[in-house]
Amino acid sequence: MNVRRAPLPLFGKVLTDSWRGLLGWGAGLAAAAFLYLPLFPSISGASGMRALIGQLPPELVKTLNYDQIGTGAGYTQATLFGLLGFLLVSIAATSWGAGALGGDEESGRLELTLAHGVTRVQVAVARFCAIAAKILALSALLFVVVFLLNDSSKLEIEAGNLLGMCLLFGGVTLLTASAALLGGALTGRRIGGIAAGAAVAVLGYVFNALGNQSASLEWLHNLSPYYWAFGTSPLSSGANVTTIVVFYAISLVLAAFAAVVLRQRDIGV
Amino acid sequence: MSHGALDPSSGVRGATAPGAAIDVVDLVKQFGHNRALNGVTFRVPRGTVFGVIGPNGAGKTTIMRALLDIIRPTSGQATVLGTDSRNAGPDLRRRIGYLPGELILDGRTSGRRLLQHYADISGPVAAGHVHELAERLKLDLDRPVRKLSKGNKQKLGIVQAFMHQPELLVLDEPTSGLDPLMQQEFLRLVREAHDRGQTVFLSSHVISEIQQAADQVAILRDGRIVTINSVDELRATAIRHLRLVASGIRPTDLAALLGGLDGVTTLDCTLTPTGDTEAVATLSGDIAPFVQAISTLHLRDLVLEEPDLEESVLKLYSAPAAVTQ
Repeated sequence: MNVRRAPLPLFGKVLTDSWRGLLGWGAGLAAAAFLYLPLFPSISGASGMRALIGQLPPELVKTLNYDQIGTGAGYTQATLFGLLGFLLVSIAATSWGAGALGGDEESGRLELTLAHGVTRVQVAVARFCAIAAKILALSALLFVVVFLLNDSSKLEIEAGNLLGMCLLFGGVTLLTASAALLGGALTGRRIGGIAAGAAVAVLGYVFNALGNQSASLEWLHNLSPYYWAFGTSPLSSGANVTTIVVFYAISLVLAAFAAVVLRQRDIGV
Repeated sequence: MSHGALDPSSGVRGATAPGAAIDVVDLVKQFGHNRALNGVTFRVPRGTVFGVIGPNGAGKTTIMRALLDIIRPTSGQATVLGTDSRNAGPDLRRRIGYLPGELILDGRTSGRRLLQHYADISGPVAAGHVHELAERLKLDLDRPVRKLSKGNKQKLGIVQAFMHQPELLVLDEPTSGLDPLMQQEFLRLVREAHDRGQTVFLSSHVISEIQQAADQVAILRDGRIVTINSVDELRATAIRHLRLVASGIRPTDLAALLGGLDGVTTLDCTLTPTGDTEAVATLSGDIAPFVQAISTLHLRDLVLEEPDLEESVLKLYSAPAAVTQ
């Protein structure tokens, strides 16, 4: 008689280890939505708010995407998907991606896992899939929360657009996580993953903000995953399916590259 | 029943297969400018217990990590259970139990859950076997791993390596952190594994920890094997400290008698307050000539200590010219 063995042990281990953390991130994300979105009716109706935004430096308004704040879709994108939600989930994605291989190797734990009956590719793939599952769970949570608040907060967002936005949001944060995974796999250090993940998220945000400032800087939009995701206002005008596919495809390529890199290297040196 | 779970009498799958469990030929590992392994060659026959002794940094861990395919050799070849380590897939590693020298375990979970995870990926593990090992090592499996002492973490690492009764155990400094009682229990586990036909490859920086268990001992220094001996051979060349007190003989006469013997060094003969003569010396090699020489003496006291393998190994460590295999 042998001890019963769990299916998909590597994937399952990530989830059993981190479901508490995932709940925490989910609670933070939901709190952000419940704080911001119900304020919309009072902000959109108040001429004082519009006057206030009119007095802010236009560069600041563009950086924060507050120029679209007059519609429910624009407001939701500017405050939640494009700002606080983006910040929270990008931090989570970077930390998960950096920890999955780089952090695990740096701490010395990866060595023992790899000494067991797994391949390095299996480890990388399982951990990427677990991160993707967690990011999609947070995106689904955003969908549900915004959908629930849509009527009461008078946002008038179409369900189809909301779905597209959530998929784009998941795509851009998964891209961040995959970059962090690859950075960790390349360097064998957590910091390498954090640098790569932060580069995608922060530079993407900065390039988008700079590109918003003037026509001469608009080319920076091409370098900004943030702009690829949110630049066409998907909550009001609908998401481009190709863009969604491209985000997930690039993420898969980065993860595959991470797996190949990990397979070639000496571990823990 | 699948191959990993065995009752002790049935032997381990493959244990009787011909060939070596480990066959390392001219293994070189270069880390930047540092040559960690400098042409290491040795062979561990199946079903034996093979120890590697060496000071810290000698390359013990590097050899073991190369066998597990955690690092890749710069040149040379390591064959493990008939497979080139560089082609080692999960199937090969399921047949190996590995205890890393610097054991870092996931602290967020309990010992039981951690072992279950490793059983999930490497199993199969016979039901009750983990419990039995934990019992013998007096390890509480329900405590969170991060709250375990170093010794208890080490026990968890040992259980993890032994639980699926692998054909080959690769144990890097397995006794580190264990108290003497647990060291004895660990050595019993090694002996039982040996009796079942499992092969054990283990390292230590002190020979006393593994001399009871190992059939053969390789001494490693600066990435080279200085010598491979059986423990008996090491014992034969080892140094024993001796002290004897004889009456009716002057110190100079005793010094002349003992000083002429092969292997007697650091001889010091003095007169005791009671008028006897005391001799203190170290003896290496065969003891028969010494016993013969003192048979004519009127002995009052004789102490001939256990051979000190540590001291002879340390001498090999510091030997200026390495005698490679």
